Amino acid sequence: MTQHLSEKDVRRIAEYARIGLADDEVVPMMNTLNNIIDTLEPITQYDLEGVEPTFHPIGDLSNVMREDVEVPGFTQEEALSNAPKQQDGCFLIPSILGEGGDR
Amino acid sequence: MEFASMSVAEIQAGLAAKEFSAVEVAQQSVERVQAADAAVHAFLEVTPELALEAARKVDAAIAAGDLASCGALAGVPVAFKDNMNLTGTHTTCASHMLESYVSPYTATCVDRVLQAGGIPLGKLNMDEFAFGSTTESSAFGRTCNPWNLGCVPGGSSGGSAAAVAAGMATVTLGSDTGGSIRQPGSFCGVVAVKPTYGVVSRYGVVAFGSSLDQVGPFARNVRDAALTMNALAGRDPLDCTSQNVTTDFTANLEQGVAGMRIGVVPEFMNAEGLSAEVKDKINEALAKLEGMGAELVEVELPHVHSAISAYYVIAPCEAFSNLARFDSVRYGHCEAGHKDLGSQYEHSRSGGFGEEARRRIMLGSYLLSAGVYEKYYYPAQQVRTLITQDYQRAYEKVDCILAPAAPRTAFKFGEISEPAEMYLSDMYTISINIAGNGGMSMPIGLGADTGMPVGAQLITPAFKDENMLRVAAALEQVYGTAPVAPAFANGKVGE
Repeated sequence: MTQHLSEKDVRRIAEYARIGLADDEVVPMMNTLNNIIDTLEPITQYDLEGVEPTFHPIGDLSNVMREDVEVPGFTQEEALSNAPKQQDGCFLIPSILGEGGDR
Repeated sequence: MEFASMSVAEIQAGLAAKEFSAVEVAQQSVERVQAADAAVHAFLEVTPELALEAARKVDAAIAAGDLASCGALAGVPVAFKDNMNLTGTHTTCASHMLESYVSPYTATCVDRVLQAGGIPLGKLNMDEFAFGSTTESSAFGRTCNPWNLGCVPGGSSGGSAAAVAAGMATVTLGSDTGGSIRQPGSFCGVVAVKPTYGVVSRYGVVAFGSSLDQVGPFARNVRDAALTMNALAGRDPLDCTSQNVTTDFTANLEQGVAGMRIGVVPEFMNAEGLSAEVKDKINEALAKLEGMGAELVEVELPHVHSAISAYYVIAPCEAFSNLARFDSVRYGHCEAGHKDLGSQYEHSRSGGFGEEARRRIMLGSYLLSAGVYEKYYYPAQQVRTLITQDYQRAYEKVDCILAPAAPRTAFKFGEISEPAEMYLSDMYTISINIAGNGGMSMPIGLGADTGMPVGAQLITPAFKDENMLRVAAALEQVYGTAPVAPAFANGKVGE
């Protein structure tokens, strides 16, 4: 197994992904990912000079717009119906500026 | 009566002749699920009220002498993979992340089946967020294969395949990102169709890999699958990738295969890991088609071996991006009590997502990070071009390709534990998602060694899905329609 990722890398990409990892989860995750990345190596070995990428099977779409007309959508109540926390018709989150915290 | 073991045509003939009502179909089908699902665990939620409500509409139309107005699936017991929204039901994606989520809207594919008169029995088990090939990663318990309860049903749409194989529904819907319709269809011995990307709207289906995902039907015969395709297909303003498809997928089912050119791919037939019993059945099916007048043509797909590594770059990157929406604020699992939003995100996401979901999100996070993107993601999209071109060249010579759907029949629970080895169970299906064309698994009897179902995969050019259904109908002439698994036939519940 090649060491594609270090423990430090695993902590960094977990932060990007907003996945909290406990200290004892870092090494097992690193090993699993290194194993999987090993199997991806063929992709780095082809001669792809001059080959255009295909990002999507339906390639000729751009800026698909609908008519700018009013259509029914969620009510505020429906939009909030699955919110873990709400207050005064809004989604409730911990304070993002300064102190505060959960209420 | 075992309504859910009947075909669409049988149910509708009975309704038309007033031998039974749609309400009876609904009530008895719900009872059937409640009895048989104890052994299978295909369902995550059963919806008796929705079933009755839909059935009453069908009965009202029959009373008014207008069964035809109800649509092609009138009175047919149906069920949906639990990544498809249906208003008022839980849509959990088999994840603790969405355990308490109740859909405030309905996916287009679900709506179209209901508009066609389908009777919704409930929501079906799956691998968590469709990440897996066995349905073992469901947060709410695994589904068992009706043909052998000690074996996996395949995945990720394992519940959708098992419900049809156990005679608990006539038609179900699944989704397929790398093989998640065709591989469980093969393992459970049912007809399982992944349409060409763009045939069916993805609106309201919880996204995994947005350039790969496609919804399709499971059924026990080709006509039922084709009828469901007719209901599903076509442009939806809510999914800009859905195309204006107006094909009647039942139109050429009777035509036979005389004069059709069927492709055989040496890279597939000689692949390491293909079991002898599957290879034998595939060769037998090819010989039967030749006997019916099809011409077998060898075609090369020189880049197809690179599909798995391209897929395991592209799919986790798209999943990483799609699963960013689970923020513990608007919906989904929330671990409260944190002083700042960042730490609420991290705790809620690590608590809500299971092991495989976290692994794939982490992999996507790595592959899209600066300096790594150029090494894997960009080349993977270039490889996608090469694979697409391989198929396009092959389809200059053939109308349809026949290959295994999976390298082996359903394996035992726990038999494969290493993720990298597990990923090989999709080796025959993945390149089709990468290229975007259509593929289906058609049951062709049981393997000589394991006695478990074998599926032949039929692969068609993009937007020529009628070709594979036509070949499947010819194979059905030889092998018969897919039976309900023996332990569940004639009302049995798995003893």
